[in-house]
Order: sequence, then C-alpha cells, then structure tokens
Amino acid sequence: MSDSFDVIVIGAGHNGLTAATVLARKGKRVCVVEKTAQPGGMARMVDYAQGARGPEIAHLLYNLSPAVAKDTGLTVDARRLPTIALSPDGRHAELRGDSLRHADGEAHPDAAAYAELRARLVRFAGLLGQMSDAPPPSLAEGLANLASLRDLGGLAKLGLNLKRLGKEDMREFLRIVLSNAYDLLLDDLSDGPVAGALAADAVRGAFSGPRAPGSVFTLMYRMGQGGESAWPMGGFGAFEKAAADAGAVLRCGTGVASVSVEDDRVRGVTLEDGTELRARAVLSSLGAATTMRLAGPAHFDIEATRRLRKMRAKGTAAKLNLVLSEAPDMPGLSDAQKAGRLIVAPSATYVESAFNPVKYGRVSDAPVIEAVLPSLTDPSLCRDGRQVLSAIVSYVPFDPEGGWTEEARADLARKVIGTLETYMPGLSGRVTGQTLLTPDDIAASTGAPGGHWHHGELSIDQVLTVRPVNGMSRYAFGIGGYYLCGASAHPGGDITGSPGRNAARRLLEEGIPS
Amino acid sequence: MSGAKYDAIIVGAGHNGLTAGCYLAKAGLKTLIVEKNDWIGGAAVSRSLHDGWTYSNCSYVCSLLRREIVRDLELPRFGLQVIPYEGGATFTRDNDYFAYMSDHNALLREIARHSPRDVDSYARFSQTVMRQCRFIRPFLLRGAPDPTSLHPRDLGELAFLVKKAHGLGAKELGETIRFWTMSIGDFLDEHFESDLIKAHLAGSGIIGTGLGVYSPGTAYVLLHHYMGDVDGAIGAWGFARGGMGAISKALGMAFEEAGGEIRKGSGIDSFRIRDGKVVGVALENGDTYDAPIVASNMDVKRTFLQHVDPVEVPDDFTRAVERFKIRGSSAKLNIALDGMPEFPAAPKGAPFLRGDLHCSTSLAELERGYDDWKDGKWSAEPYFDMLIPSQIDPTMAPPGKHMMTVFVQYAPYDLDVDGTRSGRNWNATTRAALADCVYDKMEQAMPDIRQRIVHAEVRTPLDIENEVGLTEGNIFQGELTFDQLLFNRPVPGYSDYTTPIEGLFMVGSSSHPGGGVMAAPGANAAREILRRAGKGREMPRFAA
Repeated sequence: MSDSFDVIVIGAGHNGLTAATVLARKGKRVCVVEKTAQPGGMARMVDYAQGARGPEIAHLLYNLSPAVAKDTGLTVDARRLPTIALSPDGRHAELRGDSLRHADGEAHPDAAAYAELRARLVRFAGLLGQMSDAPPPSLAEGLANLASLRDLGGLAKLGLNLKRLGKEDMREFLRIVLSNAYDLLLDDLSDGPVAGALAADAVRGAFSGPRAPGSVFTLMYRMGQGGESAWPMGGFGAFEKAAADAGAVLRCGTGVASVSVEDDRVRGVTLEDGTELRARAVLSSLGAATTMRLAGPAHFDIEATRRLRKMRAKGTAAKLNLVLSEAPDMPGLSDAQKAGRLIVAPSATYVESAFNPVKYGRVSDAPVIEAVLPSLTDPSLCRDGRQVLSAIVSYVPFDPEGGWTEEARADLARKVIGTLETYMPGLSGRVTGQTLLTPDDIAASTGAPGGHWHHGELSIDQVLTVRPVNGMSRYAFGIGGYYLCGASAHPGGDITGSPGRNAARRLLEEGIPS
Repeated sequence: MSGAKYDAIIVGAGHNGLTAGCYLAKAGLKTLIVEKNDWIGGAAVSRSLHDGWTYSNCSYVCSLLRREIVRDLELPRFGLQVIPYEGGATFTRDNDYFAYMSDHNALLREIARHSPRDVDSYARFSQTVMRQCRFIRPFLLRGAPDPTSLHPRDLGELAFLVKKAHGLGAKELGETIRFWTMSIGDFLDEHFESDLIKAHLAGSGIIGTGLGVYSPGTAYVLLHHYMGDVDGAIGAWGFARGGMGAISKALGMAFEEAGGEIRKGSGIDSFRIRDGKVVGVALENGDTYDAPIVASNMDVKRTFLQHVDPVEVPDDFTRAVERFKIRGSSAKLNIALDGMPEFPAAPKGAPFLRGDLHCSTSLAELERGYDDWKDGKWSAEPYFDMLIPSQIDPTMAPPGKHMMTVFVQYAPYDLDVDGTRSGRNWNATTRAALADCVYDKMEQAMPDIRQRIVHAEVRTPLDIENEVGLTEGNIFQGELTFDQLLFNRPVPGYSDYTTPIEGLFMVGSSSHPGGGVMAAPGANAAREILRRAGKGREMPRFAA
C-alpha cells in the first residue's frame, strides 16, 4: 500500500517547508516528511517549562528574503530589536541601523566611523543578497543554451550593479570581499564592545575566528537584507502555517530511511517504519552528505561522494535556554534595551581568543554570547511574570576532547551563566529551568551535519558555485528528480528560506519528471 | 655631491631594484641606484659575520627567481649558479622522520611507511598543485588588470585572465576557485591521513605570512613555494652558490655593465616632489640627485609614510597605505657549526639531510604556533625551515665545518612582554630566549646541536626591519592575502606600479605579484616605466 505525490520533501525545517509551499502553491501535490514529532527544524518553538515558551535553536530573524515571503505568502509580524554591545565596565553601546550611541544616550566616539562602515557593508551585502535569490551562476555551459544565457544575464546584472556602485566602491568591494573582519573593523573602530559585537556577528556559528580571511563575507552574508534583527511575534510558526495554507501534506514522527531510485530517477521514499511513498520528485533539506546516502552512494560518481563526505561542517554554536522567575537586572540598560539582542563580546580580540580552544576540541573559558529575552517583546510566551532567556553560545566544539559528559555539559552551562551574570547580577538565583543544546545535540535533533547551522561551513571555498560541492551547486542532485533544498545548498543557512525557494523553483523550471 | 642628473633613480638595491635597474639601463636610461647599506642585495645577501663562514642571512633558498629574467640578463655569465638540493625531512619526537625525496619511487615508499593510503592521495595532491602552478605561472610576469578600469590594456589583461580561466573548463575552474580560497590545513586534511605528512607539506603555506595553517587563503601561499623552478625543473629549490648574495652580485654586475651606477652607504631622506611630480631624491647624507623618474624598491608603507611629505598625496591614498598589512611573523637564525650535527633517526649521509629540515609534526602544533603569535609571543613550539647548505656548497664554511640557516615561524614584531606589545621589547634577553626555544626544538632532530654551535646570529623581525628596511621584518613586503594581491596590491587602483605622484614608481614586492626572490615586480615595473617613457620596445616580452 503506498501513497503517491508529485513531490516529497524530506525534512520540515524552514527550508523544507518553504520548498513545499512554493510547489504546493503551483498546484503540486506535496508531502513533507519530518522525522521528529514537530516541524520547524532549527526554527522551532518549544516549552522551556510549562507556561514558558521560547525558540529552541534559532532565535531571531535577520535575513529573510522578500522573494521568499512573496513566493510563499509568508506573513511575519517581526519586531525590530536594537543590538546591545555589552561592556564589562558598564558602558554598554546601542546599535540601531547605522546609529551607534552609548546605552545611556551619550554620544559614542566611534559613531561616525561605525555609520560609514555599516552603510558600506550593507551596500555591498545587498549585492550578495541579490545573488541569494537565484541559483549560483553556472560555469559549465557558456553560451550553449538559453538557460545558460539567462545565467550569464544574471552575472552581467551583478557586474552592472557592481559597476553602478561607482569605481571607488567597486574597488573597495573587491578589496574586502575575501578579507578578514578583524582587520576591516579595527581599521576604522577602536577594539571594544562595538568591534566585538560586529566580529561576533561575522563568525557566529562558523568554525572560524574574525581574523580568518573570508569572515567579511560571512558578515556581509547576514546583512544581505539590511542586517536588522527582529523577533517574529508568536515565534517561527509562519513557515508551517504557509505550507499548510498552500495545501502541502505534513507527515511528522517518522523519518525517511531511503530514497528509491529506478533507472536513474527517483521514485519515492521509504520511511523508517517501512511505509512507501511514491513521488516523481524528491527534495531533501537534510545535509548534502546525508542526502547522498539516502539515495545510496552507488548513484553518484566517486569524486562527488568523496567531496560530499569531506564537506566541512563543524558546528560551533551551542544553545542555552533559561527560564527565569522574573526579568533579570541589567544595570545601565533601559527596558527597550533589555529586550534587545544582547552581545557578550567585549572586543574583537576577545572573539578571536574565544575561537582558539575550539580548534583543539576545548570550550573557551570566556565564551561569546548572543542572548535575547523574547518574552520581554512577546509577553504571550510566559505566564506568572516569568521570562525566557535564549542564548547562542560560541565557540563550543561538536566533538570535545573527552566527549559531552554530564560534567562537561554542566561546566559549559555554568560558564555561560557566570559570563552573563557579569551583566545581569543575580541571574543565577532567578534561573528556574535550563536546557543546554550542544552542537552534538543540535545535530541529533535536527540532522544538521556537525550541528552546523549552515549545514556546512560558509567559507569561500564552499559557497556559490562550489556549494555544496563543485559541480552540484544548482540544486539538482545527481539523480533525475532529486534535489537538495536545505542550507547546504546555495546560499546557505540562517532563517532565509532561500535554498528551499530556489530549489523548488529550479524543479519547476526543469519540470517534474513524468 | 649634489645635483647630478639622471634619467632614473632607484631607491634600494634589493633584487627587485637591481632587476628594474638592469632593464632601465639596458634601455639606455642613465640610471642610479642608491642603497642605504654598504652592500647591495637587500634581503638577498651573503655576509661573513663570523670568520670563515658565509651566511645567506635573510633569504636563503632560490626557486622563484624567474628563469626568463635569469636568461635575459645572462646572470650565469656574472657568476650565478643555482644548485638544486634533494628532498627534506620532518623529524618526530620519537626518533622517526618523514623524508621527502626527489626520487619518486623512494618518496612513495617513504609515504607508504607512514600511511599506505596516502600514497594515492599524494598523486592527487601533486596533480592539483602542479595544475594550479601551471595556471598561475604565466601571470607572474604580466601586470595585474584593474577590473574597475575600461582602459584597453586592463581589458586586454582581463581578457587574458578570462581566456586562461575559461580554458580550464568548468570543473577545473571550480577547483581553482576552491584551491585559491581554502586553507592549507583543510586542503591537506582533505587528502592525507598522516599528521606527519600533513605537517611536512603545510609549512610552505604559512612561511612568511601572518596566517595559520587553517586560515583560508593559505593553500594559495603554498603556490608561492611550488611555482618556482631550478633550470626548468618546476617546484625544485636550490642554493645560489656563494649564498643568496650571488644573485644580487650578478644583478649588480649586469646593471653596471649596462652602464648603471650604484651609490652605497646613504639611504634616502626624502623623495623630492614639485607640483605633484617627482624631481629627484635627497639622501640622508645631504646629497641630492635629480631625475624625472624615481622608483622605490622599499615597501609601500616605508616609501609613503616615511619618505614622502604627506601633503603630496591624497588622504585616501595615505589611508590605504596605512591599512596595508605588513606583519612581522618570522625570525631567522644563522649558525656556524664546527661539524655536521648528528641526526640519530636518519641513515648516515642520507641525501634528504641536504634539503629542508623541520621538527613540527602536526597541523594542530602549527596552528598553536599561530595562536601564540596572535597574542604577541613567539611560538612555544616554533615551526622552522632549516637547511645546511654547506653540504652542497663548500664555499659557505671552512673545510669540515658547516653553516646552517634556520627560518623561524612565528615570531611577532611587536613582542608582548608583561602585557605591553612593542618592537622595542626585542633585546639581548628576548633574542637569546627565542634562540633557546628554537634550540630546544631542534634537539628533537639533533641532540648534539648545542655543542656544535660556534656562532649564531639571531635575527628578530625588528633586526630585519632595521637592517634590510622591510617594515616589521615582513619578508614579502606585505601580507599575501587576497585583499593585498593582484589588482589590490599594494593599493587598489595602483597595481600598475604607479603612484599618485607623477614619475614615482614602486618596484618592490609590495607590488604585484608579491614577495619571494622572484624579481617579477622589478621586471614588471621596469616594463611600465619604459612604456611610459616611450621606450616600451626596449623591454623584452617574456613568453606567457
């Protein structure tokens, strides 16, 4: 007994849901298969405790592509949050768009330099943002056919936009695009919490320090849509709702065991419980190597399987979710600032030093933290005056020396709460519940390779035309009707929906095989 | 002596200044080279700092020197002989080694001794590296196109690049993009399983740079050490007989034979500029010379921040020069030995002992060395590239004695002592402590090394800066990162060896294609200078 669909999407993360929505809105019969009981992947809301709800992994929106919203009918009530660069001496800084000032409202000496630098980066990031709405340009076909001409047209448009920046800007873009964030920031800013916050943004989630060439690219990547971070009211349920509204069938609780292939065509999937689902196309939002294994390596050439296995994906971000009996004290911050995106990265040098230990499988004693208390913006999340605090912690190794023992986990949580306590005196006394997710836990619960939120390092040698691997960058994945639609495809991770949308459109363009 | 008039003056008699000088003089320009030291050669020198021993006390091996230039300037006629050396080795703490041998079959057996799997990987590795070398070599003796320019020459160079890139085919182009942007550590991890083999091959990716083995872009730096040749043997390295000074000596003789003049012993005080045009130079000893063309072989920071009045250049340009990254990351030990040290692990007289010797045994160890450097300290476990050239070239030491050259990475310029970072922290005490740290590690290979030493010259980044004039002692006159390569080198918009000051040119390795004893920047700059002087035909066009 088997059900039959036009398309099966593996994984109900936001990219899988986006792909399903785009296809269902075009009238395709789509089924999304999700291994866990709840859809959402990394953009999932959970109960931290009874009556205290919060984001499980990803906790802010900053890179959602308008093209995705348009193609999916997604509606998100996103509230912009200021970024607060916390300083151990209490002189916190507030960053809102291009404006920078001290948290107490006083002028910041780096304000002018920051405004100029950020405006420049956002301008350049816009170029990258444009590129994220289409498959990366193909190097293969030259002028051979119409489709590749269209690609070249896209490249020409990019070139034109680059030219349109003007000679000075174009020179600057070409100078910095492959360079490192540390030098770029410190060429203009003094090395304090503001440079620290930007350096931390450049490398959050990455297996890379701000001194590594390529970190300017990742900094720009997160500014592709302007770089403002926002809290989606009610959480991240919009993707699921859009998919349901479009008529996609969602099937949670059983994962895919294998993808069936006959005559170099996908024919459907077999679930872990033995159920067979037939389909003419299959999109996978899992990691690239897992996607290959589900269909079986025999269907790929040797070079491709080798490369897919070697794709670098070592997550470095852990998550600590706290339930607090009441809002913590944060001396020096107004209520609006307390609800902002709080960054613990007192300097760019601090960020680089925090990266050092992870290279050798150890956790830094001085972690970099991005914390937010969404319940201050969205009171519906908690009852009884409690608050939730969601913290992304860098750098945390996927496979630490000695493994993730209970002791290692407790030690990490203690370090994070201890570090936050510098800025939130008395915090530990208000913690009534805590959940720690190491990169290893994140890998286990979402299937993300290495627990990496980009499903693969977003380094220059793994982006655009060589993402996930050379020769497979345009979503079609080796076998007729098989597509990659997750973060390991172009343009990469974050809550963008772009890989899902682009992959779905690519399938529609190439036509669902009959 | 003042007021003497020349057609062209070059500041700095390093190998690039000399090379540019040769081409200008051969084209008929009355050319003067001024040099602050009492000797010529910059960082390509042979010096006798201990009785009977000759040190190549800065640069120490030869491979990148473009053979087109060697032939065109007939350097062998002026005594230049480059003798290739065989192999090299990395010694472990437990009395073993990995040897790199020039005999292919011997090398494969040696790799198999450490990892049979890595034998196959090595074939893949060398294929990729050689392919990338072949791709890049034609670009070394050409200008870097300015992608923002619509000038026919820039478009022509861009077209050449596109044509070459397109010729690779889509797959190879993708591979090239990856290779140019990835780290040497990731590149090696992708190929090999043996830590020791990886560590041996990784050194070339970091030598001279302020980057770690896992910093993206270091796979490219590897090419800077593979794209050379000795007499056409691509990737081979050799010793200049008589030390690296033999290269400078030959270039100096070629220059003087072509009618050029060299004045040693006084450095430049300032470039003399009138109405935005260069008119000559003023030396520290008070002499002044006139010329409508002046070329600086100093790095871009030293040229513009120390010897040009800032009012003469646009603020943007000065700003760009200030942010140009020239970081001291290496030190050098030159050692006179009273005999050949013992290598208990190696077979006696093994040919690989004549090559480059190392003691760093894993990528993590190399990366930790970089972490130390970022903190302003020399690596607790330093990487070094160590050679005993007197085994091949007996002119370097008295009979039975030996000369050893040790390139040490990483050593910061602004050394941290008690929380204060400054070049001034380099003094007799810190210098001796650095040497001790290196000797400790050398004992891994040569337990008797300390007993063999009769004299040692320890050169910190500060010493290299003071003597040679390289800012921070950076051997490449500027980091080889993408933001400072090709059309970005040294300043976007000025990759064609020109400067905002009319008649003032850059001929050193701050300019494209960068550092190493390559002579390409000097030759490329000379071409640009002659073209602008209406003498473009006098310059040979090297085959691409």
